[in-house]
Amino acid sequence: MKKTISIWSISLLLMIYLTGAAISSSSQDSEQDATRPPCSDCHVCESPSTADPCLELCLWTKTEATKGHSAAEGPEVAMLDELEELYGPVKFNHKLHAEMVGMGEGCSVCHHYSPPGRIPPCSECHGDEPSEPQTLRKPGLKGAFHRQCMGCHREWSHDTKCIVCHLPANGVDLTTSGIDSTDILGISHPVITVPEMRIWTTPYTAGPLVTFHHQEHIDLFGLRCVDCHQQENCSYCHDLEKDPAAHKTDEEIHAICNDCHASDACDKCHGVGEKPAFTHGGNGHWELNRFHQGLSCRACHPTGRKIGKLSNKCSDCHGGWSQQNFRHSITGLQLDEAHGEFDCIDCHKNLMYSRIPRCYDCHDDCRNHEDAPPGEYIQRASVR
Amino acid sequence: MSLKRRDFLKLSTAAACLGVTSTAHGMEDFKGWPDRYGMLTDTTLCIGANCRRCEEACKKTNKRSLEGLNLSDNSVFDHQRRTDPNSYTVVNRFANREDPENPIYVKKQCMHCNEPACASACLVRAFTKTPEGPVLYNKDVCIGCRYCMLACPFRMPTYDYFDAFSPEVRKCTMCHDRIIEGKIPACADVCPKEAITFGKRSDLILLAREKIRHDPDRYQQHIYGEEEVGGTSWLYLAGTDFTNIGFANNLGSTPYPEFTRGFLSAVPIVLTVWPVMLTGFWKFSKARERQEAGPETDTTVDDEKGWGDGYRHE
Repeated sequence: MKKTISIWSISLLLMIYLTGAAISSSSQDSEQDATRPPCSDCHVCESPSTADPCLELCLWTKTEATKGHSAAEGPEVAMLDELEELYGPVKFNHKLHAEMVGMGEGCSVCHHYSPPGRIPPCSECHGDEPSEPQTLRKPGLKGAFHRQCMGCHREWSHDTKCIVCHLPANGVDLTTSGIDSTDILGISHPVITVPEMRIWTTPYTAGPLVTFHHQEHIDLFGLRCVDCHQQENCSYCHDLEKDPAAHKTDEEIHAICNDCHASDACDKCHGVGEKPAFTHGGNGHWELNRFHQGLSCRACHPTGRKIGKLSNKCSDCHGGWSQQNFRHSITGLQLDEAHGEFDCIDCHKNLMYSRIPRCYDCHDDCRNHEDAPPGEYIQRASVR
Repeated sequence: MSLKRRDFLKLSTAAACLGVTSTAHGMEDFKGWPDRYGMLTDTTLCIGANCRRCEEACKKTNKRSLEGLNLSDNSVFDHQRRTDPNSYTVVNRFANREDPENPIYVKKQCMHCNEPACASACLVRAFTKTPEGPVLYNKDVCIGCRYCMLACPFRMPTYDYFDAFSPEVRKCTMCHDRIIEGKIPACADVCPKEAITFGKRSDLILLAREKIRHDPDRYQQHIYGEEEVGGTSWLYLAGTDFTNIGFANNLGSTPYPEFTRGFLSAVPIVLTVWPVMLTGFWKFSKARERQEAGPETDTTVDDEKGWGDGYRHE
């Protein structure tokens, strides 16, 4: 009996030993890759999986894992309103920024820790208070946000005004501040130097040269960047790896101009030589008189991206004028007492002010307005 | 009183020993309070323009007047400002040679030296290097000599020149009272970019080195204040040479008190031992003179060259 027990116990010990040896040899195999850091450096659980990698939170060093993410995964707009006692929240256009970083280091430009699976929000690690002696390497949420955003923003916009990102508190409307946040140059982009004029050579034989007065379209016609530069995101300009030889198709190019010039003939843009800049009288319209020369185009043509034709009736714009409140001397003719009594329409038939009234419209004695003017011609130069 | 030669030698040897021991005591090297705190200013993070929250927070916490403080007025950067009795810290702008459109902003305040020159220059010990790190001023003992202002290598202490009755020397306190309360200094607390970090000085040096190693293109391989004037509690990181942003590079790494330590430690010896020794010498030589000359006074008759001789012949 005693012998049996000892045999059993010896064989049991042998089995345990053999099993242990097998386990240790197999684990040795898996640990032979010396370059790989220990699993526990990143994973906090025993058996991590792709679905639940159970990764250690808040690593300071950037992880390579962000390659698994794309801009489309993230939210379109994120409201950063955790710390809004001083300013309004920040309306953060996540999608725009995500597309922008796509040409650089990817999500890890901002998300220094974004493992596969769920990306932890900043506030999960960064608390309300700034870093303390015990947490030197972890700035507070406010510090983390400002470090992330202002590093880049200051670098290229050279602007550190709070209003660049923060919505103003107390419901102040941004549109009253003269900032158009919907345009490229609106809220945070530095001034872009644009060419005064560009001339392209095209294969169109009847008019190979296309003159485009770029600055004129901005200054004179009041176009915004996004009016023409549609569908262009940040990488359109900032992508250094973009193929410079890549061209738009003829259709794409014409589509940009056709928003306004669809009804114009080819020779509006195409010609054999350089086309002059726009002048009001030079393009088949009437020459502006001195009262209108200082006005912006939009003062008379307020609506529509394409500047439409106006009638030549002054009353279309100056509807409130009558003989009581219109100072006729401003035209250079001081009406005499008799003519000053008439209504405007009495002399200016059909309110056609561009046509000088003829004396014979009312008088039968063949007088003309040179010899017998209806008042006194005063020095035009003195007229204001 | 007659002093024997043997007694004099005993006395002078004892005095010499006393002198040596006191000199040795004066040269003892103190490495600084081990857990002292410090501040690390990362000048590559500071945005300066439209901010200056640190200046505002500093004034508020030190109960200084906020009059004339307009944070959105960037014209203050047009000239280099210095600290004054109402502003314990100022942010100055410096041209950035690498990127002219993004100037460098540097916050300046008392550096809280490990071995403060102000404290060693003070006649009445009005300055104390606290175990927590800040160098503090005691207005109750100050006599207003302003030696501290001359001694400071960073020209940081300022004086209430416009206060005729109770003027004080004023400078950053590193918010010592806040540190004692367990809070962090006001400027570090308010900085939106956390360009100022508060922590143990030894940890901050490690953090600064880590930052440099992590991003060597961004930072100069130098932590200003680690070695300068024997080390300061306030440390700086920069992306450009420190001389470009108003930091002197000729301060050396010797603590300023070291320069005067030899002289100052000699003062007590000179004042106590030298009088005793010299008096001893004088007494000894006089006694010997009397001993040698005294008994022979009557025999000088034969001395043809002596004074007495001359008198006698007249």
